Amino acid sequence: MENKLKEEARKLLKEGKVDYIVGYGKGTVKFRTSPLITNKEEDIEGLVINPFIANNLSRYPAEIKGKLGIVVKGCDSRSLVSLIQDNKVKRDDIVILGVPCEGVVDIKKLVEQIGADIDQVKEIDKEGDNLIVKMDGSKKTVLFGDVIFDKCFGCEYPTPLEYDILLGSEVSPRVELEKSLKKIKEFEDINAPERWRYWKEQFSKCIRCYACRNVCPACFCERCFVDVNIPQWITTYGSWQDNLVFQLIRTLHVAGRCSDCGECERSCPVGITLRSLQRKMVEEVKGLFNYETGVDKDAPPVFTHYEATDPEEFIK
Amino acid sequence: MEETKWEPKVVGFLCHWCSYAGADLTGSARMEYPHNIRIIRVPCSGRIDPMFILRALQNGLDGVLVSGCHPGDCHYQSGNFHARRKFAVTRKLLEYVGIEPERVQFSWVAASEGPKMAQVVKEFVEGVRKVGPNRLFKDEIKDGE
Repeated sequence: MENKLKEEARKLLKEGKVDYIVGYGKGTVKFRTSPLITNKEEDIEGLVINPFIANNLSRYPAEIKGKLGIVVKGCDSRSLVSLIQDNKVKRDDIVILGVPCEGVVDIKKLVEQIGADIDQVKEIDKEGDNLIVKMDGSKKTVLFGDVIFDKCFGCEYPTPLEYDILLGSEVSPRVELEKSLKKIKEFEDINAPERWRYWKEQFSKCIRCYACRNVCPACFCERCFVDVNIPQWITTYGSWQDNLVFQLIRTLHVAGRCSDCGECERSCPVGITLRSLQRKMVEEVKGLFNYETGVDKDAPPVFTHYEATDPEEFIK
Repeated sequence: MEETKWEPKVVGFLCHWCSYAGADLTGSARMEYPHNIRIIRVPCSGRIDPMFILRALQNGLDGVLVSGCHPGDCHYQSGNFHARRKFAVTRKLLEYVGIEPERVQFSWVAASEGPKMAQVVKEFVEGVRKVGPNRLFKDEIKDGE
């Protein structure tokens, strides 16, 4: 897959079909990847595709001028299609290099499983459903399904739905929806005051760094409501009340645009379980309006559209 | 000092063309409804940002009533249809994080439905009274503070 990507990326740059290639490069921390954006052919050699490509790169087309060749996984492709639906990205301006994805390894989970620091790991190979982790003088085998991100469990579209070049053969979806929704179901079983207390605790940790907003492809407002000071909806200091209201409103703004890529939770420096909010909204939007994000690029975005038969049993 | 009895304090966001006129009719027909509600007139139910609801609760109001024209009657053709979708998810999210569903009520009240307005407000205020004062956004006072 990696070689095909390099070949295609070189070709795209050489033929002038794209101005930049947006892909994954080696990160500064072991095994992690970071975005690699380049217009030079010699940098193409640095592109990688491995089970650690966590970043959602679909944030970039709306930010970089010019034509882009962009590498996307299944979930990222849906974010990208959602942006096309919202007229934030023109389909003709991007060449989509689709990566069929079997799941992305959560390094935190991996470290827990092997019980050793990631710096001690020399090499990680994927063999079928197992990951072979080679360390100094020892070897450990972990189940791939045990170390991938929670979001990957219920992934219905592992192969990008929208692409120009597919870099590998299609992957069949994982059907472990129950495992994916486990945390939400458990959460719903506890009573309302406890739920509120939980979020209060979570957002007492929040330092309002806005990483969740800045990393989210669906957060594309030119001026975010938290930056508006007339009227000032959210104060500038980080009280839990304001942090919580900020996140709830952000959740509603991205509802119907969120493809459950999980970047908000992954980027959160204090470990707030943000995905549980976003995932809940994905479920609700699907249940209420039978709408899935980024599945159809010609469909109108869910909240710019309505049906006369929309549910209204909650309205008196 | 004599203890004052707690009364719910709620806000109503009513659309100019239907619900506000409906509330007006309630008044001019001398129908009584709880004085616990403070009415804010907005152009359309589509104007109501979920932020209004959350900020009202954050600022200590005990409940929020949102009311607009019946579907199909919107002065701006589709404002209430769009609002309806927005409200449906807003309600689900608020419930999910643990805000009592009784605190936020949506309704359609037409300009001619004076009695309905009185009924809606009455039932809503009773519901809020049952769940009690809104202490959601209050900081807990710890011992020794």
